[in-house]
Amino acid sequence: MITVLLWALALFLIAAVVYTVGRLVFDTFQLFRTRAARDDSAVLWRDVGAIGIAAQAVVLGLIGLLLWYLWGNFRARTELLGLELSFDFLDQPGNITIADNPLDAGDTVSEAITQAFLNTLRVIAIGIPLAMILGTLVGISRFSDNWILRKLATAFVEFFRNIPPLVVIVFLWAAVFLQFPRSQESWTPFDWFVFNNARFAFPSFKRTGDGNFTLFVWLILIAVIAAIIVGIWRTQLFNKTGTPHRRTLWGLGTFVGIVAVSYFALGTPATISIPTIDDRGRVITDGIRMQMPYAALTFALVIYTSTHISEIVRGSILAVHKGQEEAGNALALSTVQKYRFVILPQAFRVAFPPLISQMLNFAKNSSLALPIGFTETTAAIQNLFGQSQPAPQLLLILALLYLAVSLVLSAVGNVINRRLQLVGR
Amino acid sequence: MTGGNIATDLSRVVDGLDDPDAPPSQKLPPGEWVKKNLFSSPFNSLVTLVVGGLALLLGFFAIRWLLNNDYEILRVNVANFMVGRFPREELWRLWASGFVFLFAVSLTTGALSRSAHELAITQELPTEKESFASFVKRFWAVIAVMLFFVSFARTAPPYIGLAVAFVIPIIGREIGWRLPTPIRRQIAYIGTTLLVLSVLVIAGTSNFGGAVLGLIAFAWVSAELSRRNVASGLASMAVNLGPAVIVGLVVWFVVRSIGYEGFGWEDWGGIHITLFTAVVGITTGMPFGILLALARRSDLPVLKTASVIFIEFVRGVPLISLLLASGLLLPLFLPVDLPRPADLTLAIIVITMFSSAYIAEIVRGGLQAVPKGQTEAAQAGGMSAFNVQRLIVLPQALRAVIPAMVGQFIALFKDTSLLSIIGITEFLRVSDIANAQTDFVGRGLFGVTYLFVALGYWAFASTMSKESRRLEAKLGVGSR
Repeated sequence: MITVLLWALALFLIAAVVYTVGRLVFDTFQLFRTRAARDDSAVLWRDVGAIGIAAQAVVLGLIGLLLWYLWGNFRARTELLGLELSFDFLDQPGNITIADNPLDAGDTVSEAITQAFLNTLRVIAIGIPLAMILGTLVGISRFSDNWILRKLATAFVEFFRNIPPLVVIVFLWAAVFLQFPRSQESWTPFDWFVFNNARFAFPSFKRTGDGNFTLFVWLILIAVIAAIIVGIWRTQLFNKTGTPHRRTLWGLGTFVGIVAVSYFALGTPATISIPTIDDRGRVITDGIRMQMPYAALTFALVIYTSTHISEIVRGSILAVHKGQEEAGNALALSTVQKYRFVILPQAFRVAFPPLISQMLNFAKNSSLALPIGFTETTAAIQNLFGQSQPAPQLLLILALLYLAVSLVLSAVGNVINRRLQLVGR
Repeated sequence: MTGGNIATDLSRVVDGLDDPDAPPSQKLPPGEWVKKNLFSSPFNSLVTLVVGGLALLLGFFAIRWLLNNDYEILRVNVANFMVGRFPREELWRLWASGFVFLFAVSLTTGALSRSAHELAITQELPTEKESFASFVKRFWAVIAVMLFFVSFARTAPPYIGLAVAFVIPIIGREIGWRLPTPIRRQIAYIGTTLLVLSVLVIAGTSNFGGAVLGLIAFAWVSAELSRRNVASGLASMAVNLGPAVIVGLVVWFVVRSIGYEGFGWEDWGGIHITLFTAVVGITTGMPFGILLALARRSDLPVLKTASVIFIEFVRGVPLISLLLASGLLLPLFLPVDLPRPADLTLAIIVITMFSSAYIAEIVRGGLQAVPKGQTEAAQAGGMSAFNVQRLIVLPQALRAVIPAMVGQFIALFKDTSLLSIIGITEFLRVSDIANAQTDFVGRGLFGVTYLFVALGYWAFASTMSKESRRLEAKLGVGSR
């Protein structure tokens, strides 16, 4: 994956240089052709086109000179330090470990970075949807008739919005997550959960050994897709004929039906897996287990980002024309119906572009786990510096990984945004 | 004077009266208020009980946590939080610098609001001098948190200093308001000179050339932005540059002849460095940001491509990766015989790059908001491309993005907390240092110190965001 990114960068830079130089040559050629064609008598240095090309050539030359100078310094310094400028170190042993990740000290650097990058993705994948939901709820709460809810939402937003994300992370980590009991005295509510100041665990599913578990997981995935397809079909039917669509009911029914049938047909391959902690309080078995810093980072970022999202949602609800709400009231819609069918669809059309940039901010802020000891990409790269791996290459890889995340997120966001916008006439 | 004044007077009289069309004020008795706001429907009552219950539970835990903590760590370290390891016997420099800074800012805002006031009078718009009460209301959060911080100190000077710091803006504003008109017109130069002096009080004159160059550039740019000279062409820019150079040279000779030693920023720390880095980052990022925005909007492919690559690269990676690069990568690009600069110098270079990319996007938004007719009208009037940008497009664009710029300043102010990760003793890092002291190590007092830090950031950031909303309303951005 890392090599692919490096190649993509190299190709992109070559393409950019070829494009700009090519455009410059082409424009020059074009300039002289048109001047010849219209038999221009204007002097060259008063021709707007010529001035533009000259200015660009100068800028290009200056950028080239600057880069050449910097590269010269860089080579001199790296030779002085004895730093190799190849990417061979990626296949050398990394000598770092990441808690809870399948990584030996002997594994390669690129394997270590990949594992750490997966940790970053775990934070983003869980955190962004949660932040969206919480932010929307808080944003709506600020319009509530209920005094307590309204005031609390305002206080929540005004407090956490004006604190740096790093401070939110370390503060919640210290004031909330470090207050959990030590692992020997873990807090186990209902015996279904395990909470201590090192790890959290929640119930999940596991294989029983009977039947075909892998096939069952695939069937669950198929059931989800089938439920979505059924939902779309019901919506289309509703749009065509007007029969009540009840797509939630149909979708859920399809999902439960397929899962239940395959569960018994495959011979009960899965069971609920309840986390248990051993007597010495060291090892948690079963369930979904996570490190406390992971939970702290995700929780803090969700809190911080949701305050920004709630401000965006609030602003876009205010931007929905007041007549829309009054029309909803006139139709005797309940508050939930009014928001679900009238206000939010219109508000989100306004809110989505700034929401994309909040998603990007979330992804970038996930790099702030260094002080609380969660090894995501940035922390792993920092660890690798400590193992005297070459800094310039590692920093390039770090930047490329986040650029890739930013690009993918904004691409997905833009696709959704295009679907949301009104089709103009 | 004129009839217009009578009309504004009259409207003030009418404003004082009750509006006959307004609904009667709804002061409910407590019982009915509770019923209306908390228990208007079954669902509402449920929400009240659940949310109120949760809030009470959370409040209970929070208060128990607050009462069970040991605050000795704050008492011992309050000076560290404010100034880091700045030499204690030289603290007067910081106080003096702060006073000069506050005086500069308040003098400038006072003079500017007087100018706006007079402009409004000539245009027969309602206008009024701001009252003392509204001033306090605007800055209550900073005042309160600063009082809270100082209350941890055991000696008198901080109290006296804070009292002076509270009085100076009031006096400065009053003086700025009353400055004679010819002097008030030169406020751009006066304000910038005072700002540079406030840095010199701390840093001394040992490394002084950069400060004077900065002074000249900054005074020139503020003269340009305050529309001192609106003739077209390079010559009129030079007219604005002239006084800036003179002011710079005068400061150079006067201060040089006094010539005294100070402390470079290797010795700075605490909330002082946080504020300083944010201010420097936004001001140095501004010119580069404007250039990048213009380049990105230009038709010339080379300029556009270069600017897009720079902006999107910087905006696509987290600041922490850039800051890591500032320590590990940036020194490698410097000439071999140059000794390694201080960490903060390297960090400020990177922060300037970072903020210029974000400012560029803000300015680009402002440029897009200027109607195309403005450019076309200027071109029809025979203006050169340079003058179209300088006299027509940029003034309108920059005016429209002032609130967004304040927003970016707040973001940058919050982002300076990342400097703690690369080992610069700013506000947040002091709490780690305090927790490593022999008296407090291993006692789990991180929560206390982090809460203290959070309050500090909150006071400044929330005040600034309130100010930006006020500015937005005042400038009428979006409503015109």
